[in-house]
Amino acid sequence: MATIAAQGLGKSYGGKPAVTDLSFDVQPGSVTGFLGPNGAGKSTTMRLMLGLDNGVGRTTFDGRPFVELAHPMRHVGALLEAKPFHPTRKARNHLLMLAAANAIPRARVDEVLALVGLTEVAKAKPKSFSMGMGQRLGLAAALLGDPHTLILDEPANGLDPQGIQWMRVFLKSLAAEGRSIFVSSHLLSEMALMADHLVVIGRGRLIATGPVAEFVNSAQASAVVVRTPDASALAAALQSRGAQVEPGDDGTLVVRGLTVDAVGDLAFDEGVRLHELSTRVATLEEAFLERTAGSEEFQATGGGAA
Amino acid sequence: MRSAFAYEWMRIRTIRSTWWLTALAVVLGVGISTLFSWAIHHDFSQSGISESDLDGLGPAIVTQLAASGQIPSVVCFVLAILGIFAWGHEYRHGMIRASLTALNSRTALWVAKFVVVAVWVAVVAFVTQVLSGLVGMIYLHQYLSVFGGETWSIIGRQVVFGVLLAWLAMAFTATTRSQAFALVALFLWPLLIEHLIQVFFLLVPGLRDHTDVLRFLPFLAGNRMVDVISHPTGTFGDPLSPLGGALVFGGLAVVLMAASYALFEKRDA
Repeated sequence: MATIAAQGLGKSYGGKPAVTDLSFDVQPGSVTGFLGPNGAGKSTTMRLMLGLDNGVGRTTFDGRPFVELAHPMRHVGALLEAKPFHPTRKARNHLLMLAAANAIPRARVDEVLALVGLTEVAKAKPKSFSMGMGQRLGLAAALLGDPHTLILDEPANGLDPQGIQWMRVFLKSLAAEGRSIFVSSHLLSEMALMADHLVVIGRGRLIATGPVAEFVNSAQASAVVVRTPDASALAAALQSRGAQVEPGDDGTLVVRGLTVDAVGDLAFDEGVRLHELSTRVATLEEAFLERTAGSEEFQATGGGAA
Repeated sequence: MRSAFAYEWMRIRTIRSTWWLTALAVVLGVGISTLFSWAIHHDFSQSGISESDLDGLGPAIVTQLAASGQIPSVVCFVLAILGIFAWGHEYRHGMIRASLTALNSRTALWVAKFVVVAVWVAVVAFVTQVLSGLVGMIYLHQYLSVFGGETWSIIGRQVVFGVLLAWLAMAFTATTRSQAFALVALFLWPLLIEHLIQVFFLLVPGLRDHTDVLRFLPFLAGNRMVDVISHPTGTFGDPLSPLGGALVFGGLAVVLMAASYALFEKRDA
């Protein structure tokens, strides 16, 4: 199973940088979510990784760049377009064509069609396909070579809730088999359920990379909430330990910089009575919005604040 | 490279336009030759024939009159659309990224496209001409041997012209990445632009003395490849010889192909 290693990826359009010195790893056996605001450079990064765009940097799959892989679909499956097929070439023929390029047995075509639930429309022309069916055909193409690595750009686009759930379970099961799954999505709630690790970019630069839990816990919205009748004494003690303390709603204290255990122990040591001691964990959306604030490529002037 | 040929061979066979364009080329080619042969037969039976009436008749029948040197081959122009679609579909339908993730060698994909289309065009052009000649024999066998004289040579030259035209169309499409533009240009250039240039040379006094350079217009030069009426004095004389026509027309195709390859290697997919 392959580790994806991206090193120093960069790409400019007309002198304007789209991706700048971007480096990250994707480990096998996990789903790694690729997050960033619109125009952050996610799709460009994926194309750079596969040698489709000319830029700087190097991406290797178990040490070898994509262009050096013999029968590449047997190593790396990619879904980069919403409908990457000719509208009048039958679904099965589309897959047979891709299979021919990678010496993949014809029987595998029928297998992947069944895997994504498109057996009944195998001989249909994709021009009649919904967006979701198109995504399933694209996913079937990515899976055709039974690759150890999947690179998927917004695969949940156009899927209905059942389809999204199916996609999540499916990708997690593939990761559980030891494959490397690198997937971008705008559906943060879905990513929170699916991803084990994250790569977060903004304006083409790396913002964060690591486990989802670590990313979420690092957000300002993650904190320890304390309710006590002696708030001023506890606040002073907490601040003397380097914690950030802010008054919360309903007379609570919101503490950052110390764990819930440390706050409880300190209150005990100081003889402060507690009525509530809890943690507030940020959602992935809160953490994402906080970390990518100001790095949106396109900002609306109307509507509500995030 | 073998993978690329397998991919392209499957691609060209699994798209409906390949089959209707192939059918159109055969039906149009054989149909025109049938009409022409019938008309000649009718004329001969009414008015009798002279020896000069038979000059170049076999080549004219198999090439749908392209051997007259006055018009390009309709069959080859229809088949050139296959070449436009070979690249046009890649960009119009976003297939190019799927193609380059299935085949990670751009050179292999580029070569396979040009070779597979060339083979398809050559076979269809050859078969169409032979069928056209057989139809001509049905009507005119008592007057001439359609496949005698220069006919086989002209069939071969028409096949070469068809392949060069398809390559030219492919290279133009790959360079512009616009199927619609390439389709318009394929017909607009030989049917309008080159005639416009000729009229310019005839009407502008300063150019009138230089009309001899018009023989180098690419599609006019291409017409010379199967021309059995003109009598060239040298390879690049006026008019061009079949070889001269092939060098000018093929030269343009090669230059455009080189440009398309360089751009395909350099550009983002």
